[in-house]
Amino acid sequence: MAAMEIHFTLNGQPVAVQAEPDEMLLEVLRRELGLRSVRETCGLGICGACTALLNGQPISTCILLAPLAEGCEITTVEGLGGHHPVQRAFEEVQAFQCGYCTPGMILTIKALLEEEPEPDEETIRRALGGNLCRCGCYLKIVQAAQRAAALLAEERRPQPGPGAAPVS
Amino acid sequence: MARPIPAWLAPTSLEEALELRARYGEEATVVAGGTFVGILINQGLLQPTALLTLRQIAALTYLRVEDATASGKPLLRIGAMTTHRALERSPLVQRGWPVLASTFALVASPRVRNQATVGGVLADADYASDPPALLHALGASVVARSPHGQRLISVEELIIGHYETSLRPDELLTEIQVPGGIEGAIYRKFRSRSSEDRPCVAVAAVRREGRLRVTVGAVAERPQYFPEICALARGQASIEAELAREIGERYAAAIDPISDARGSSHYRRRVIAVEVRRALEELNRIIAARGGSQSHA
Amino acid sequence: MPEPGGNAHYTEPDPRVTGTIRYAQDVELPEMLYACVVRSPYAHARVLRVDTSALPVDVVALTPDDVRSLGLYGCQMKDQQVLAVERALYIGDPVAAVAAASPRAAREAAELIEVDYEELPAVFDAVEAMQPGAPLLHPDLAISENDAAYFGMRPEPQRNVCHHFRIRHGDIEQGFAEAEIIVEETYRTPSAQHVPMEPHACLARWTADGRLEVWTGTQTPFNLRMDLAGIFGLPQEGIRIIAPPMGGAFGSKTFVRYEAIVAGLARKAGRPVKLVLRRDEEWLTLNRHPATIHVKLGAKRDGTLVAKQVTCWANTGAYADCGPGVAQKMGFASPGPYRIPHVWVDSYCVYTNLPSNGAFRGYGATQAVWASERTMDLLAERLGLDPLELRLKNVLVDGDRYCTGEIMHDVHFADCLKAVAGQIGWQRGRRGKGLAVLLKGMQTPSRASIVVEANEDGSYTVHCATAEMGQGAWRAIRMLAAEQLGVPVERVHFPVPDTDIVPYDTRTTSSRSTYMMGRALVEAVRQLKENGELGYGECVNEGGLDPDTGQGIASTHWHQGAAAAEVHVDEETGKLEVVHLHTAIYAGRIVNPPAAQLQNEGSMIMGLGSALFEEITFADGQITNANLSDYNIPAADDLPRITYDLIERPGAEIHGLGETALPPVPAAIGNALFSLGIHVRDLPLTPERVLEASERRSVHSAASV
Repeated sequence: MAAMEIHFTLNGQPVAVQAEPDEMLLEVLRRELGLRSVRETCGLGICGACTALLNGQPISTCILLAPLAEGCEITTVEGLGGHHPVQRAFEEVQAFQCGYCTPGMILTIKALLEEEPEPDEETIRRALGGNLCRCGCYLKIVQAAQRAAALLAEERRPQPGPGAAPVS
Repeated sequence: MARPIPAWLAPTSLEEALELRARYGEEATVVAGGTFVGILINQGLLQPTALLTLRQIAALTYLRVEDATASGKPLLRIGAMTTHRALERSPLVQRGWPVLASTFALVASPRVRNQATVGGVLADADYASDPPALLHALGASVVARSPHGQRLISVEELIIGHYETSLRPDELLTEIQVPGGIEGAIYRKFRSRSSEDRPCVAVAAVRREGRLRVTVGAVAERPQYFPEICALARGQASIEAELAREIGERYAAAIDPISDARGSSHYRRRVIAVEVRRALEELNRIIAARGGSQSHA
Repeated sequence: MPEPGGNAHYTEPDPRVTGTIRYAQDVELPEMLYACVVRSPYAHARVLRVDTSALPVDVVALTPDDVRSLGLYGCQMKDQQVLAVERALYIGDPVAAVAAASPRAAREAAELIEVDYEELPAVFDAVEAMQPGAPLLHPDLAISENDAAYFGMRPEPQRNVCHHFRIRHGDIEQGFAEAEIIVEETYRTPSAQHVPMEPHACLARWTADGRLEVWTGTQTPFNLRMDLAGIFGLPQEGIRIIAPPMGGAFGSKTFVRYEAIVAGLARKAGRPVKLVLRRDEEWLTLNRHPATIHVKLGAKRDGTLVAKQVTCWANTGAYADCGPGVAQKMGFASPGPYRIPHVWVDSYCVYTNLPSNGAFRGYGATQAVWASERTMDLLAERLGLDPLELRLKNVLVDGDRYCTGEIMHDVHFADCLKAVAGQIGWQRGRRGKGLAVLLKGMQTPSRASIVVEANEDGSYTVHCATAEMGQGAWRAIRMLAAEQLGVPVERVHFPVPDTDIVPYDTRTTSSRSTYMMGRALVEAVRQLKENGELGYGECVNEGGLDPDTGQGIASTHWHQGAAAAEVHVDEETGKLEVVHLHTAIYAGRIVNPPAAQLQNEGSMIMGLGSALFEEITFADGQITNANLSDYNIPAADDLPRITYDLIERPGAEIHGLGETALPPVPAAIGNALFSLGIHVRDLPLTPERVLEASERRSVHSAASV
């Protein structure tokens, strides 16, 4: 029943999937690739629960026609491994309740911090404006973004020589 | 019973795309960034028989400035497949047309702006999008190509109704041209609800070569512009408070606003008068400060 | 960084951060089919014929004929069938359903079902629905046997009333005769959508031996089991409910939603069937009660309250759901936390041809507090008193009797009010500032039980029915158990609740779980320590109100809080900017500080949405904004400065915090507007309403010059 094969890189691995040309990437990621961190809420590109990174930039997979992913690099939160500084920051701050919006928030902040390593609070809020959290965790999510910026800055610092205490 | 699976047409050259566009005509839905098409499909409002994507045509993504045009003013040429984010983040645009960069940065979310294109937003002619009103006020034009040649259409003539353009079924919008020589420009987005909402009333005000252009968006089927009202400012070195108020009130009287979730017709009319006046007051300050421009959320 | 919640041991990353958490919508079974619901396009219509002849052979359809013989259900009134068999009662009422191999095939199949209707007159406003001659939705009504129907309902089906709750305290006529000042006003609050990020999702299958198994995002597994047993004529043990974590609920995932339809399809198909709602269908499933509330308040010139009469019309839509309970709680919250000798409350739960309205974070208090606290400021203005002083003069203190007759203990309303006034800078000037106070009951009576089991590897497992919807209850209960067992929290497991395993619990609502389960745990752990294997504990809170007088025990435990807001108004557009929002909530003893903070912040932010823009709009019963573009919810960039105090007291009980801060927020913002002379009666405070009200003020002041 599938009409075409689409090829892209998912979390660093090349994949080929079957999809119909008018299906959205979200459906394909969930059905064909079993990803569960991309989630539908609004179906309009408004809420950010379906966020993935396309060539490093956040997009709404719920309104991205699947064939448009052809040849692109797609990253979902499954590809961050669990200990990425943004994930660690979310965990430290406990910046989530139900967790449904969390992957989208993490990816949006990751992309933001790559562009602007030291954003002020207003920049963070603006960048997160299109990621809705109905539990209302925004205050802690902004704190998590600030904490993630600090963790990433630590990582960027020159590595200590042999024998030095590891940065925790 | 099952719906037919649409054809996916992915040309790699403009010539090939024009040939497919001419062959399929209205049968093929053109996909630029694809955000609007995606929403329509999700809502069950569109069941395409063919999808014609321009994504693979690298030649449609560019930002160039031509310095020596016939008018002696620079001209910004934007490839139709340039994304909102690329425009918003381009140093070229930020320097020469800052109002364009700051207004595109107000559209929806970074996600949508990473995907949506400048050509797409004009071809959709969505009444509540931010860019059409601004591009209209800036006096921008678009290049429409067909197998038979090309024509230049002003944004004013392009958007003719509710999600309706004057593009012909065999034409593709390939470029947007924004003239330079702007003395001052401002875009104000008035939201009546969430900061993430689309505008209830949008006002773009531009002065170029001594002439004022005020375009009001999100209040009617298409951007609203009244040259005879703007002519009140002709020959004025600055727009004084009283004139700003009068232009605002005349715009409010001239427009028959829609009612929707963002405000009733009656309310929108009230806000048009206020927001047009405020836009002109700001424009006046910008011009006084010599040729800056900005957009204001 | 301090370690959150005293968790000193970092192990595996949280599944919410890695995206590996599995919600109800992620549950899958081999061979399962996908469901789609066919809905009425009419607000009130006789269902004449449902024709499935155009369906492909591999599609299974559930039609009125399949469900006609099944039992009626409803958690409080037995007013609902699995599908609208005789009459459809709202636009969106399910009249049929299909199951097919993919979600897409199901959607396409649903469009092939033809239904003939005969349209009938409809009514949408609760006050109109009670008038003579209004169309009757349920001419015959029976009270449910479900545990959720515990409080003595007083239906009057001949005027569309499914419950009439009363408070009769003192002598209201004498009270108003004693009053020197009387203020009176009518308020309206709109319907609102919960907008859980995860839509309703459920999956059902029948086992070979005839048991029904349901995986569903639910806050009420045992109430659901009771109703499903009645529908399918099974003993309760013949049904198993498994309740995975939810991507938000806020009251929407309560009682029977789509589980009966999916179970009906699964039985007919002989295969598991799953349903995940489309976003627009959420608005057709359960919303918040729109309310009209009339308040008449009488006082002495010195501000002493003497009499209060309140009438509430809670619009419950086509089916009662837990509307009678909402109307009851709206009724007993509406007098406010004040000493008033003479109180008279009539709270009606009224059927209309709108989608059903039910539990929504705040549970009737949001509506009641809006009306009650706005009226306090009207009175303060009439008396020329500081609104804070007026409140402090009348607010309940320890040992006072509430209008239900019960004596109040552990009372902190004055502390909460003083705290918010201080933080908002009340003493520096009141212009643009407003405050509001709230009392909200907890589910009474109710019962919670818990089992704690020792495992061979030295870890423990807690079995309880508490639902996890983001509020952090599972973690809080694990932390309490760990504390009492003297082990790290990682050694306490909390499996997904399964009614085959966990003991009975009333439900996860009304911010009661941590409090009730925390108490049940003490006994369970004590027993476990005695026998080394297994402990069982339960907590029962007893009480209840006489439905005809409202006297008794409304709540064994009161949620208490206050909010203060500072606003700025663009006088030309009416656009309201909240500059600062502060709440003070009595928290007793906090178990998990980050979770408590998150619950309170989220509650405030949801209150902000209700105050400023959340409103479901209708045109002749048709919802006109059933999507997240036309219905806005608060975003990160919408927030004012948000601050709060969670007031703790050494040795105090645990207090639920899930919904205390929401109800006073709109009222505080409305009162802040009122301090500028702008009196808006109806929520939300849209720029259009504010502009209109500010012009009324200009007219008044022009007239008085």
